[in-house]
Amino acid sequence: MKRTTMFGSRAKAVVATMAALGLAAGCANPQGLGSGGSESSSEMPARTELVIPYSEGGGTDTWARFLAPYLEKHVEGNPAFTPKNVPGGESITGSNQFVQSGGTDGSQVLVTSGTTYFQALLGRSEVQFDFTRLRPLILNGTGGVIYASPSTGIRSAGDLADLKKPLTYGGISATGLDLTMLQAFDVLGTKLDATFGFEGRGPARLAFERGEVNVDYQTTSAYLTQVKPLVDDGKAVPLMSFGMLKDGEIVRDPNVPDLPTVEEVYRQLHGKAPSGEAYEAYRAFLVPGYVYQKGLWANEGTPDPIVQSYRDAADKISKDPKFASSSEEVLGGYPLYSGEEAEEELQEAFRIKPEVREYTLDMLKKSYDVTLEGN
Amino acid sequence: MLDAALSALGALLDPTTLAFLVAGVLAGLVIGIIPGLGGTGAVAILLPFVFIIEPQQALALIIGAVAVVHTSDTISSVLIGIPGSASATVLMLDGHEMAKRGQGARALSIAFLASMAGGLLGAVGLTLSIPLARPLVLNFGSPELFMLTVLGISLAALLSRGNMLKGLIAGAFGLLLGEIGAAPAAADYRFTFGTLFLNEGLDLVAVALGIFGIAEVVSLVARKTSIASGSGIGSGWGTGLRDVLRHWTHVLRGAFVGIWAGVLPGVGATAGTWMAYGQARATARRKGKNKFGKGDPRGIIAPESANNSVEAGDLIPTLLFGIPGGAPAALLLGALLVFGIEPGPRIITDHLDIIYTIVWSFALASVIGAALCFLLSFPLAKLSFVRFPVLAGGLVVILFTSGFQESQQIAVLQVMLLLGAIGWAMKSTGFPRAPFLIGFVLSVPLERYYYLTANLYSFSEWALRPGVLVMAAVLVIPLVLAAVRWARARAARTGAEPVAGAAGDTPADEDDGEPEGTQAPPAWTLAVTGGFLVVFAGGFLLAQGYSEKARLVPTLVCLLGAALAALALAVQVYTRRRASSDEVRVTAWREELGWVTRAFAWLVAFIALVYVLGLVLAALVFVPVFLWRVAQMRPHAIATYTVVLLGVLLLLQRFADIALPVGYLTPAILVA
Repeated sequence: MKRTTMFGSRAKAVVATMAALGLAAGCANPQGLGSGGSESSSEMPARTELVIPYSEGGGTDTWARFLAPYLEKHVEGNPAFTPKNVPGGESITGSNQFVQSGGTDGSQVLVTSGTTYFQALLGRSEVQFDFTRLRPLILNGTGGVIYASPSTGIRSAGDLADLKKPLTYGGISATGLDLTMLQAFDVLGTKLDATFGFEGRGPARLAFERGEVNVDYQTTSAYLTQVKPLVDDGKAVPLMSFGMLKDGEIVRDPNVPDLPTVEEVYRQLHGKAPSGEAYEAYRAFLVPGYVYQKGLWANEGTPDPIVQSYRDAADKISKDPKFASSSEEVLGGYPLYSGEEAEEELQEAFRIKPEVREYTLDMLKKSYDVTLEGN
Repeated sequence: MLDAALSALGALLDPTTLAFLVAGVLAGLVIGIIPGLGGTGAVAILLPFVFIIEPQQALALIIGAVAVVHTSDTISSVLIGIPGSASATVLMLDGHEMAKRGQGARALSIAFLASMAGGLLGAVGLTLSIPLARPLVLNFGSPELFMLTVLGISLAALLSRGNMLKGLIAGAFGLLLGEIGAAPAAADYRFTFGTLFLNEGLDLVAVALGIFGIAEVVSLVARKTSIASGSGIGSGWGTGLRDVLRHWTHVLRGAFVGIWAGVLPGVGATAGTWMAYGQARATARRKGKNKFGKGDPRGIIAPESANNSVEAGDLIPTLLFGIPGGAPAALLLGALLVFGIEPGPRIITDHLDIIYTIVWSFALASVIGAALCFLLSFPLAKLSFVRFPVLAGGLVVILFTSGFQESQQIAVLQVMLLLGAIGWAMKSTGFPRAPFLIGFVLSVPLERYYYLTANLYSFSEWALRPGVLVMAAVLVIPLVLAAVRWARARAARTGAEPVAGAAGDTPADEDDGEPEGTQAPPAWTLAVTGGFLVVFAGGFLLAQGYSEKARLVPTLVCLLGAALAALALAVQVYTRRRASSDEVRVTAWREELGWVTRAFAWLVAFIALVYVLGLVLAALVFVPVFLWRVAQMRPHAIATYTVVLLGVLLLLQRFADIALPVGYLTPAILVA
């Protein structure tokens, strides 16, 4: 081929900058099928691609792009980070592609979110990635707040015990992040009349404001910006939060310290700490879904020095003054965890017991008439 | 309030900020011109910069691009009949018709002026509707959105006047194709045949480029001539200005429809633009100079004014509710978050300056964008006088590249090819494609809002809401009027002159007439209609395997489609008996068929090459050979053409994050 002569000198620059990328992309099969990856070297590559299995401009994409310059500064060897979006298939497409051809030399790392985790936890047949084997590098959580309409007569979470009618809830899809909400109500033993099919949490919140539904949940940052004004106007009543994880225990979310956790509400309603299948299922999805919702992962077999430099970076980034001042809005005030801290809990969560998965699928079928294909 | 507005304008006129605005406009224009690359493409270009510059500048950059993407996407729709974006498909009706008559300059000048006016009105509308938007959006619940989608789908009937049966079949086919992928109200994936690729549903851009673009390429390559007849590129600019001034009410109405289509989450730019076209066409007087579908200036003004103001309206849910309506709005939301500005109810009190920066940027960008488009269109207008095969070589590569962007799955290329074949078959057997696109765009919203309405309200609750009643009236009154008119005409016509129009047509105005180009013989029409019948029957059978909430809508659509197709078959068989075969037409058709088959063979060869070599190398092989064999260009021209095309592709890959399909043997250096 006369390719190089045709493109002239510009090609050389392209070749130079893409040489590392070429290794990254491994073999050149369509969609990166087949065996990929080059020889593992424990040296940090000059360029690293952030494989984002979500579309441009979304929450996970914004998170990754916001983090990129700090990674560049604090990850040892200062690789240049370039985001690469591979959206589709509820993030299965991009994640599958990553485990197939992402290599183990650190030239690609995977960006994940709760939706990615839930596909694996629910045992979707298309999933080819295994989070018990992938290596968590840096993780970042989020929280969620459940609130209700004053028209329900509810003044606080304690009133959930004597409801006349089931609360109506608007969700996107029972197998997405809405699942945690459904599980929380399953734990509490409160009936929920759920309608799925909303385009996103935003339109569902509009339905709440219009009075079409009377209970809703939002991530903490959306709660603080969009729902808090409603609470101040007496148009919404906050009930509880999903809390956050501290030393293996769910504690109150520091962003909404006045709100009880789901666990506290259970104790208030039932007089004892939550336990049993329903609670186990809730916890199994809560930890990856919220506590460690956003994450950077490397393929199994990535050399320890590379993994370690990311994990070390988590701490350095948190201490970066510029990061501290600007991360509040994007990360919602939740800390960055290094993969080291989170690895054990995540592995436990992803070694989901078959009976817990079974219980969850059963709950979806019984209470919401939702059946997953292939299950 | 005035203070905030003026200080925001002052800040915007700062040279650096202004430079970023112009940079955004340029990026938006370039991306808009390339067929199929729209807002998402512009976002990809801007993303790397947004997080590293100052907030005001980033806003100017994003808004600059967003405001003009739909100004320049008109150019390829009008001049070469290849949709510049999904919403610009509407310009292929009147805009492209006008260009085909050698009045490309007039069509473009109408389009740019209407765009600019739409953008300015959008900015004004944005300012005015900020205090009103919240209560209005909150009053517009699921039942109203459901009625709005029904109203939108009824456009399919409006756009198939003169060909009602075929139009409705096409609309039903669009609805069916839109149902591929995740069901909105259940956990089922429908019509995916077990592929992960189809779980996400078919991408609108790939569908529009296939059914309109590829189909157009195939049939134009066959004719080997240029698109426009006659000459006189430069003339008509003044006529265009006069057209816009004469029809200024359509500018206002288009902008109004556009703003609201943007404000309401879930409608979308494509549906909004078609609705603007629909209202202009529906309310146009029947008598006199109604040339809709044949190059009526109003058919350009209304949608052009709308598609720019849609983007302005789209900013309202983004800013006031934190709900982005599309990729550009999502980027804006992300950028605002990074700068510590939280969209939501408090933005009006806390960050009024930001809102005004956005409004001013939008207005300024609309003017700059339209002015630049005027300059650009003088050289570009010549495109419609170039022999088509010369354009086709590059267009094939660009169309498939653009269609690839959203899903980035190589299988989409085959889907586009298949849709191209369907589009061509529809075109040559008189099935209008506009109803198809409307059905496709509104399929999921229709189903979503139906279920939300049915689950959240009782029938008497939702059906009696004022908004629902108003829209029901808009839907029913024209039907009643039409029935009355038809009855009167029938009474008046006692064996006198027959009125044009075949069986099953509503009051015939001769809107569409026969599509241009060689028409297929009746046997083909019969075969295509039969094909639709088979598809609907198959869809019906497949749908029975889904869970209850995923089954209902596809079942209804398939039943309706199958019934319509069966009726159409019966009508065709009945009329065919009377029709005599025409020797000249048969020969012309055979010739056309031969050419089209060859054109498809070229496309298949290209796709095969892409699978093996990847897009860049495939283009390197395909383009020169095609230009040599089909376009019969000279060697040095072929070389320049190929180098420029590949250069553009690689530049886009490098700097605009445009993904190029990778094949089995693509060398690693070409993989980005």
